[in-house]
Amino acid sequence: MERLIVPCQNVVAASKRLELVYSNDSFSFVGGVNIQTGDISDYRHANYQQNITGRAFAFPFGRGSSGAGLVLMEMLRLGTAPGAILNIHTDPVVLTGPLICKHFYGQILPVVNLSAEDYAKLQGAKEVELFADRAELAIYK
Amino acid sequence: MRLTEYEKELLDGKHGEAVQMAMRVLCDLGEYYGAEEFVEIVACHDDSTVYFGEAQVAFAEHLAALGAQFAVPTSTNACALDMERWSRQRHDATVLSATRRIEASHLKMGAIPSWTCAPYQTGFSPFFGAQVAFAESNVIAFMNSVVGARTNRYAGPLELLCGIAGRAPYFGLHKTENRYAQGLVVLDETLPDNLFDDPSMFNYVAYAYGKIVGDRVWALQGLPKNKITMDNLKQFSATAASSGGIALFHLIGITPEAQTLDMAFGGKLPQETVVLGRRELEDAAASLCCVTGAGPIDLVSLGCPHFSYAELQTLEQLFAGRRVHPQTAAWVFTNRASYAQAESSGLLDRIKALGVQVFSDGCLMEYPTAAWGTRSIMTNSGKFATYCFNKVGIHPVFGNLHDCVETAVSGQAVQRGLPWND
Repeated sequence: MERLIVPCQNVVAASKRLELVYSNDSFSFVGGVNIQTGDISDYRHANYQQNITGRAFAFPFGRGSSGAGLVLMEMLRLGTAPGAILNIHTDPVVLTGPLICKHFYGQILPVVNLSAEDYAKLQGAKEVELFADRAELAIYK
Repeated sequence: MRLTEYEKELLDGKHGEAVQMAMRVLCDLGEYYGAEEFVEIVACHDDSTVYFGEAQVAFAEHLAALGAQFAVPTSTNACALDMERWSRQRHDATVLSATRRIEASHLKMGAIPSWTCAPYQTGFSPFFGAQVAFAESNVIAFMNSVVGARTNRYAGPLELLCGIAGRAPYFGLHKTENRYAQGLVVLDETLPDNLFDDPSMFNYVAYAYGKIVGDRVWALQGLPKNKITMDNLKQFSATAASSGGIALFHLIGITPEAQTLDMAFGGKLPQETVVLGRRELEDAAASLCCVTGAGPIDLVSLGCPHFSYAELQTLEQLFAGRRVHPQTAAWVFTNRASYAQAESSGLLDRIKALGVQVFSDGCLMEYPTAAWGTRSIMTNSGKFATYCFNKVGIHPVFGNLHDCVETAVSGQAVQRGLPWND
């Protein structure tokens, strides 16, 4: 696989290599995902019916109803949460779940931000690797 | 972040464990968004109320057990069901018990039991310029845009932590410089004002606006001021926040921070201008309603966001004494205060006598489809239409309140056609 390193910001840091689910569409966790299964349930979304559990889920930014934090907390509890979230910018609506899980329960759901230009490089990639100790992301095509 | 002596005490745990952990999360959030300090808030709207799962209930109980108390008046958003009439809604008893646990823990922390997603229509509205921490996407959009209070898009349960800490990281829409519009959507001037006699126009325009603007702060020019009502603005807020990530919109000449173009743009020029015309409206209409053709409707679903007293009055007028068709259900959600007012004025009894079911507290999105064997739904809510399939599993028919009432009476979907296609 071709390996490409891009700079990133580790908002919630962890070291992991994960399969990637990439999207160019904004995303709402409320109504956008089946909490029990991790399948994307928004039929308007480009990734409809894809599963995000344990995968790095890339969407440019969040939208829609502000229950996303609770949805992510419940997905973490059920083990259906994505393995990481990759955004251009992370709305507080999305960041809430990972931050509360970190400080109140010691559970880490990594969140990574990329520039719009680097985000576009995720398209077509199969896997990504996150590094807790440095501000870069490896993309595997 | 620069902390006051008191904030350092909060973070050091001198005022309890709950507020300490809340401050840790808020400090992380503040650091991420480049906040240099906190801003004290005067109100909180708690949207951690619709039952999503055990994690949420456990977290609220965890906070309450740690002795957490809201530092500011905190109103509660809609919950999953009508806490008194849940059985009539055929909700599962497990949802009631989870909701009662949510109620107990939130009230223990000092929340006000308002249980509504339109708190601004039932006495829980802050003043212009007030710093607040609000959750629920339509509440955020309405409070920022129409009231001119200042909140970021706080997500349940982040707003709880702000409410407990009595402060929020000072960034984003809390700060004046981030509230100016960057771009302008101009409503096609050839669209006649009288199109807005049909209130669904506010949904179509809001949907298209949200699609164009995404999560940015922009302004909209061209809405006719004389057609604006609180209820139209409620629908606009809810729909724009559903199709885009709208937390603050400016309506030129209408909303308080946009009385003029100059005001909305802080004396600068729009970086971008986009015309919203028939094509965008057609796309919005297609997204809001992908069901065509008439047919029986099992449920007419109203009150997303919760109906105001004025909407209950309009509903009665539109029924004009006719009753809901025996094969169709008509559900309306309102807030407790309007419910009580309608009860004391007699309006509630008159509406119920038409066969309409009126509920408070709960959320249409939590409608228990399976318990009713429902196959078809009609709504006047752009927000409900956006989420209905994902939440309820049915593509709804969208139409204005008039069409919803005609549908409820005839039992068959009535759509008068799109307002610009006359």
